[in-house]
Amino acid sequence: MNVLEVTSLEKKYKEKHAVKGVTFDLKKGNCTALIGPNGAGKTTTLNMLAGLITPTSGRFNTLENTRDIRSIIGYLPQYPSFFEWMTGMEYLTFSGEITGLSRKESKRRSEELINLVNLSEGENRRISHYSGGMKQRLGIAQSLIHQPELVILDEPVSALDPFGRREVLDLLNDLKEQTTILFSTHILNDAEQVCDDVLFLYNGELIEQGPLNDIKKRHHTSSLKLSFDDNASRYREVLREIPWIKQVKEKGESLIIEVEELKRDRMRLFTLISEGGWPVTKFESREQSLEDLFMKVMR
Amino acid sequence: MKLVWVLFKKELMESARNFKWLWVPIVFIVLGLTEPLTAYYLPDILNSVGDLPEGAVIEIPPPSAGEVFMSTISQFNMIGVLVIVLGFMGIISGERKSGTAAMVLVKPVSYNAYILSKWGGSLLLIWVSYILGMLSSWYYINLLFENIPASTFFQTLFIFGMWLTFIMTMLLFFSSLVKASGIAAFATITVSIILSFLSSSLPEKLKWSPSRLSSYVVEIVNGEGWSGDITAAMMVAGVLCLLLLLLTPFLFKNKELS
Repeated sequence: MNVLEVTSLEKKYKEKHAVKGVTFDLKKGNCTALIGPNGAGKTTTLNMLAGLITPTSGRFNTLENTRDIRSIIGYLPQYPSFFEWMTGMEYLTFSGEITGLSRKESKRRSEELINLVNLSEGENRRISHYSGGMKQRLGIAQSLIHQPELVILDEPVSALDPFGRREVLDLLNDLKEQTTILFSTHILNDAEQVCDDVLFLYNGELIEQGPLNDIKKRHHTSSLKLSFDDNASRYREVLREIPWIKQVKEKGESLIIEVEELKRDRMRLFTLISEGGWPVTKFESREQSLEDLFMKVMR
Repeated sequence: MKLVWVLFKKELMESARNFKWLWVPIVFIVLGLTEPLTAYYLPDILNSVGDLPEGAVIEIPPPSAGEVFMSTISQFNMIGVLVIVLGFMGIISGERKSGTAAMVLVKPVSYNAYILSKWGGSLLLIWVSYILGMLSSWYYINLLFENIPASTFFQTLFIFGMWLTFIMTMLLFFSSLVKASGIAAFATITVSIILSFLSSSLPEKLKWSPSRLSSYVVEIVNGEGWSGDITAAMMVAGVLCLLLLLLTPFLFKNKELS
């Protein structure tokens, strides 16, 4: 079941074609990361979904026929700004009331969310006195106030310190149980920790999408890393001659070897090492991180 | 409707917390007081500060109550309007620039409700301040000069208040169109100056222009009574306000909020 289906979404500005025909679906209950370098069009895409800017063309379908897409979406902009003269509690209650909750209901929901995002100590302080992390957490809370079917978060962790990042990522992990999440980031490590699906956006185009595991498999490369005492380059020459080795890269005193099939070639390499008596200090098979994948896909 | 009320309360709370509910009324009250007081005490002030040669006699004919009342109105028309324009120029553009408008309008909030609450919130503050200013002026004129009849006072209050309402509605309109508050202020002042200029150079043709309202006040104060022209100008001002109020959310909706 798809909460949102986006079909050939386009945004053209006078001087820039920001988003070029992006098509994707968001499955209910999934957490999707929109990944791309700065200027790839992530924020523009999310802003279009949230209804803050009008697409040049393209459309999106929601699960039910909702009259106003905004009622099923919770949104946190990249730089959330609040009415700083309100307290956190007042802001949440206000946000709830403008989404149509009654005052009482909104109060109850706000208290719930304040506990969820850990803001109890600041709930009655003016937002102008909040730290960056507290504002981000308040921003997440306000996006959840009307229990939206889809939560869109624009770079929710980029501006935070390591502690704040950890907190928000943990929060996202909890939220995954309750709702569908779409968030953008350029920090791949974060995406890897929480999301199921990824969308790679580059220069306004979706160049890769799908479940993270599938994409990893699709772009899988088997590589091994051998560290030597010294003289790594001598062995490089030897390894280059071997037909089942696709590529050898030298990195300091170690060699990164790309092979055809990890299991089989690992054994072959062991044999080589022991027969030749190579001065190997470390042998590791490398799992591909999202970062490697990103670099590869972007190219 | 409930939504308008929630947003309206937010507007009132905001202008209370940033002390607009304090300083705008104070400015209008001070404006209202100064005219009758300075007019009454002018001879004394000149005597005590003026370095007049011995034996010089200066006769300043005491102004009439109507004249003092008119000069209060013209103070409101200059400084009062300036206070309104400067105080509310960022009413929408400011929220749009800071991004708080996006935070509100990304929720299922109708643009009409958003604009209407801003209009209501600002006009309530303006009318309360304006009425307080007028009342204080009226009180001191009655105390220090002759009485101004209540009917004259209320008719004047109503006519000139309409002009202020029109200015505020225009300001709201411009503020929703631009991101820089200064441009909204500039546009509002320019349009009102052009309107005043046109209607004073073509007084016969533009009897119905809202900018004539401040000059019709003179007729009322001089006891000429309510004329058909006043009704026409009031109607036109009202209809223009209504049109602007309908047009503002429509145009604002097509603006990109981020």
